[in-house]
Amino acid sequence: SSDHVQYSANGISWINVSFESFLEQTPPVPTYQAGSQPLHDFFGLDSSKHIVSLSLRDPLDAREMPPNGNSHVSASCMRGVRKVTPADWRSYVLTMRPDIAFALSDTPFTAAPHSQKRMTKSIERSAAWLADLLRPVEITMDDSSTESTPAALNVFVHMAGGTSTSARRASSHSLMETLHGLEANAVKPLLCLDEGVAGYAFDLAAFHVRPAPSLTHNDKGGGIEIAESSLILQNSESLAQAPTPNAAHTPTSLSSSMIEPLSFLSLTPTLDELLRASLNPLPVAKPRLVTDVRSPHEILRLIRDVGVDVSDAGWAVKAADIGVALDFIFPVPSSHDSGPDHRKRDIGHNLYDAKYAYDFVRLSDAFLAGCDRTSSSQTPVCPCAACSPVALTSPIYHSKVDVQSHQARLDDGMSRERFSPPFTRAYLHHLLHTHEMSAHTLLVAHNVAVLDALLTGVRTILSGHADQHEVATIFAREVTRFEEVYDGDMSVFHTARENWKDVKHARGKGRLAREAQKEKKV
Amino acid sequence: MQFEVIAKCHTTRARVCRMKLAHGVTMLPTFMPVATQAAIKGLTPQQVESLGITLILNNTYHLNLRPGIKVLDEAGGAHKFQGWNRNLLTDSGGFQLVSLSKFTKITEDGALFASPFNGEPTMLTPEESISIQHSIGADIIMQLDDVVSSLTVGPRVGEAMHRSVRWLDRCIEQHEKSGRKDKQNLFAIVQGGLDPALRDLCLDAMIERKDQVTGYAIGGLSGGEEKDVFWKIIKQCADRLPSDRPRYSMGVGFAEDLLVCVALGVDMADCVFPTRTARFGVALTFKGPLNLKLGKHTKSMEPIDKSCPCPTCASGMSRAVLHHIVTIETAGAHALTIHNLVFQARVMGGARDAILEGRFPEYLRSFFFDYFGDTGYPEWCVNALRSVGVDLMQGVDVPLVKGSGVRWEYSDAA
Repeated sequence: SSDHVQYSANGISWINVSFESFLEQTPPVPTYQAGSQPLHDFFGLDSSKHIVSLSLRDPLDAREMPPNGNSHVSASCMRGVRKVTPADWRSYVLTMRPDIAFALSDTPFTAAPHSQKRMTKSIERSAAWLADLLRPVEITMDDSSTESTPAALNVFVHMAGGTSTSARRASSHSLMETLHGLEANAVKPLLCLDEGVAGYAFDLAAFHVRPAPSLTHNDKGGGIEIAESSLILQNSESLAQAPTPNAAHTPTSLSSSMIEPLSFLSLTPTLDELLRASLNPLPVAKPRLVTDVRSPHEILRLIRDVGVDVSDAGWAVKAADIGVALDFIFPVPSSHDSGPDHRKRDIGHNLYDAKYAYDFVRLSDAFLAGCDRTSSSQTPVCPCAACSPVALTSPIYHSKVDVQSHQARLDDGMSRERFSPPFTRAYLHHLLHTHEMSAHTLLVAHNVAVLDALLTGVRTILSGHADQHEVATIFAREVTRFEEVYDGDMSVFHTARENWKDVKHARGKGRLAREAQKEKKV
Repeated sequence: MQFEVIAKCHTTRARVCRMKLAHGVTMLPTFMPVATQAAIKGLTPQQVESLGITLILNNTYHLNLRPGIKVLDEAGGAHKFQGWNRNLLTDSGGFQLVSLSKFTKITEDGALFASPFNGEPTMLTPEESISIQHSIGADIIMQLDDVVSSLTVGPRVGEAMHRSVRWLDRCIEQHEKSGRKDKQNLFAIVQGGLDPALRDLCLDAMIERKDQVTGYAIGGLSGGEEKDVFWKIIKQCADRLPSDRPRYSMGVGFAEDLLVCVALGVDMADCVFPTRTARFGVALTFKGPLNLKLGKHTKSMEPIDKSCPCPTCASGMSRAVLHHIVTIETAGAHALTIHNLVFQARVMGGARDAILEGRFPEYLRSFFFDYFGDTGYPEWCVNALRSVGVDLMQGVDVPLVKGSGVRWEYSDAA
């Protein structure tokens, strides 16, 4: 809830809003928000504390959608699919004034590899839609614009090109190309599209779509799944092992050479090769953002191999959804070797497990609880609401005499700074098994803080040495150590998800109906 | 417990009291939110405390099942387990036995019920209930009573009332020999159904035991009985119960019910209503409930209540945003739960101030006018308040509504 979002210790500094859910209404409800920071104000966010970015689609939603067109993107809201034109998007962005806006992009949500024709379309559309967003803002003289003219837009662009390094290179080059004629006029005074781009985004969700079992072009419905593990991408051999398209089944009209499965039978590029192909032609001094990362290992590798600057926290929230309290730290202290049986450590704890029923300790071993900190402790503290519980504000008084309820506390010297004991694994275990929502509240707060600490650790290492080469070596070494100590398969998630499903079945929505069914059968 | 009446209303039977328990002071009258399974659904204890709440309720029946006594004992009690270090009240489990368990048979020994885990017959005796409540460690514990539905008629009601008195004695004994009397306070529960004669007998017996109990609850109501009967039983009990003991009406949560009970001399009440209705998308306000799922709130950029100090309203969160997420995102449930808890606290806090300043009748009139002025006053509220000297109808042109008069916000289509 908003009080937790505003709580400064939680490490939430950048929030992305996916606009599509508001397409239920025309015009979308947030556009009614008045003021000079409509997007911040609509969500009650403080612009001095939070960066708010605006994308049309939810970057974590890779469900198959009706295809985009040359002048529309298919977006999803509670009432179904909506078509959004570049003009619509531009008007929403200019109205909501986000700190950062993502340009519309044409991302195919079918499995890679894609035909060259599809790739070309994707690249051309994305460039055209970017150009449309970069058109200078007309200053209208009507009464409604009594506010100052909007600050220049910070536009992030999704790098196009799918699983083809050559397509990606081509796409980036086209961003850097000097524009001529009509195209140049359209985005004056920008000389090339890249001049208007503030940052580069990589949407990994599209890569996580597993190839369909049978790659006939008529088979639209089958096989579109979201990969549960990040292995699909890390391990490009698995792509190569997917069944080859059976040419005998393709209709004649599609068997022309215009359809080439691009990289399928040749050496499949790895993820970092693909991202570097996009970035090499482009200026280095612009932030690089990835969405739908699936593990801390992936984040560290992307930082090491691609120079990624920002990643999303969706996977940490999903871990909380399934009852996992994250527990890892970077750089890994020397005391943290893998266990005596040389099994790698899990990156977190599946608190559904019966072994936690009596475990009255804080959620993570890697971090101290706020109340445990001493002046000599080397171990960092987890500042989250679960490990360092502290009153967010002084209590609301509802009557004059309420001071008597709270005075004693003040007299005791129990100032706001003093931390309560941490919430324990045993308590979270109880909350998870009783299907209580506050488990999620506490685990999200905790997991986001652990992720934040990972990135703080990264920044500490990277800024700790003046010599660039030394930094690179040291960092790479630390990443390798992390990979050696912590289980990159995240097998703890698999068990947790099963446990979560069981509890949901036993105590979640529809339980009474299911119990009644069971009664009937007995 | 240290209990002190610090102010009395000059017209009604309302009073302001100071109740000091092992985990701090709670000013009365107050509303107690329900943290059934050791959590107010979706909120952390820090959030609940910062809303100005100092007393919440845990359910013995649920905690005994999960996490169970062993875990609670090892944790050092429910306060430590759930991270709540203000006051805690536990009910005895009697009500849930009857409402939740598929098979419950009441015998003189105790309640025989089917264990929800394995269906085995399990016995909950008064001694057992008190012992479980000792492990939980709440500041106020309730006797195990023989609960019957308020709609039950016939000899069963009398049987239950008499048995409740006998079980009270057994609870008292179990509590006294535990050595916990200084930390945990036992309340008796007045039964007798809707029969004033039975209630009188129960009151006689329980008042006799005044020195062995720290407070009195009025039980066996809020089960669907006629509101006109409900208030009369409350009044009967509150009139007779000792004024130097807190009075607790169990299962009362609607704002109008709370204020009527306060006017009749009740000090505390609990109910799942405000938190449950929040999760269903309804925000409580002084102008009546707002069903935020309705289309009329889609474009409303105003907060639920501009004057509300809760974090949801204070952050400017608009009805439009809430409409968008309520019942869909858990953050919507949290936001509304926070607001509704503060609403309940404001209703009671406003009452405390009004009683202290000698203007409680005006507070009642003003509340009812704002809340019910456009739809009509529930007749039972008018009757109940008249019985303590407040005439809601005086000088006011508002229709009367028969029945419970409960307000719901309907859809535009209805």
